[in-house]
Amino acid sequence: MADLIQLLTNGLALGSIYALTAIGFVIVYSATGVVNFAAGQFVMVGTFAGVATLVNAGWPMPVGYIGALVVMALFGALFYLIVYLPLRASPIVTVIIGTVAIGITIQNMALLTFGSWPFPVPSPFDGMMIDLGGTVISAHAIAVVIATGVLILLLWLLMHRTAIGIAMRAVAQDVKVARLMGLRVQWLLAFTWILAAVMAGIAGLMLGPMWFADVNMGDPIALKAFAATVIGGFGSLPGAIAGGFFVGLAEVLGASYVSSAYKDLIAFGVMILFLLFRPQGIFGEKIQDRG
Amino acid sequence: MTILDARGISKRYGGLLALADVDLSVAESEFVALIGPNGAGKSTLLNVLTGLTPPTSGTITLNARNVTRSATHSRIRAGLGRTFQHGRLFERLSVLENVMVGAANRPGRSDTALRKAALDTLGLMGLERFAHQPISALTYGNRRMVELTRALAGQPRILLLDEPGAGLNSGEVEDLMTRLRAIRAEHRLAIVLIEHNMGMVMRLAERIVVLNFGSKIAEGTPTAIQADPAVLDAYLGAGSSYAGV
Repeated sequence: MADLIQLLTNGLALGSIYALTAIGFVIVYSATGVVNFAAGQFVMVGTFAGVATLVNAGWPMPVGYIGALVVMALFGALFYLIVYLPLRASPIVTVIIGTVAIGITIQNMALLTFGSWPFPVPSPFDGMMIDLGGTVISAHAIAVVIATGVLILLLWLLMHRTAIGIAMRAVAQDVKVARLMGLRVQWLLAFTWILAAVMAGIAGLMLGPMWFADVNMGDPIALKAFAATVIGGFGSLPGAIAGGFFVGLAEVLGASYVSSAYKDLIAFGVMILFLLFRPQGIFGEKIQDRG
Repeated sequence: MTILDARGISKRYGGLLALADVDLSVAESEFVALIGPNGAGKSTLLNVLTGLTPPTSGTITLNARNVTRSATHSRIRAGLGRTFQHGRLFERLSVLENVMVGAANRPGRSDTALRKAALDTLGLMGLERFAHQPISALTYGNRRMVELTRALAGQPRILLLDEPGAGLNSGEVEDLMTRLRAIRAEHRLAIVLIEHNMGMVMRLAERIVVLNFGSKIAEGTPTAIQADPAVLDAYLGAGSSYAGV
């Protein structure tokens, strides 16, 4: 029982990272139609932005986090300008290859800058454990789950209670009509990329202390987040969240109760079953329903 | 005072001349109808006016500003509003949220101000009871009304209506006409109406512009247009003398 609580906590923490990555993936996909295959590298850049501010520059915690997120916002804006704008009118295959290529480029730029050696990333809860009557769980993992819950709530409020969020949802549904309502569509799309990058940045900063910062960490994250969006329903935000937690839990519980060699098999096996028998996922609409 | 002045608008798609040197001028609170057989270029003209399609030649002046090269959103801010032939509402937004998007063309409005403006406009149209409903819960007639409300929420000076009566029953058409007259009187709003329902056109419009094959073939009062031989010819074929267009 004690083990199970630990595993559930760790699974939810890892699932939080996948959920945040999947959210970034989904908000970009719904607003722009772009499947961003560099989404995992966004998380990696977030982790290394934290390495740069917290470790290399040695800034104190809150300042270092804010600095890293400012870097991520700029990264999102730059990605919009350099990658999205030139590719937006291209055929889907070009966009896919484009985001894969830029992902590889980002990964190698990180390799040149930071080297291949993994970095430890500090957490405000380093070494802190919470004792629940015999079960010891990591404070960082708990903090990750809580922070993710708060972020999801804030994102919901942004999307449903603010004018910019409602405008973003309008753009995601019908760009032409949104433009004819006088919305500044290009600004909203830029904001979407920035928001996705900042979400990925937060995921990266929270993942760093769990995994170490490693320039190759983006690919496994992207694959799991992709599986999460397929399971949850492609294009659905609640789906991204549910899928993310499912994949995180499946990975941690699978590694412990089945075999660590097969931990990925569970998540990807479930994804394949969904693709075969319920391609719209848990919450999603059928892909062909999208206008 | 002229609100919208389009001069010498041409639009060429490859070998097809979709619009040939069309002029359209609309004065403040004027009600103009744009009619013509299918494929006459009415929707192309609306797309050129709203900035969705750049004209091959010609100039467009809106509220005394040359907007020929302006982006759509700045034309909307300059006082242009539009509804669509097939009522394109944001299906996954509530009625209120749809109208909020319509009101969002004025920069610097707070979220609360936006919500209030949207609720006020819904109230004006007698639709406030639907504010928090999803679009899917509305009847077809109410969807068209919400679309009109969404366009009005942007406080346009001129409203382009693309077949607002399509698919409405006769009672709903009467209701729509009453609302359009009231809105126009209350807001000194100019209206350009594209409509196939000739009864509606003849009763609402002060001036009618007739397009055929991309050219303006007639312009005048409803009475004059009904008797115009070129219009009869376009609608009914050469030699017809039927006056019930």
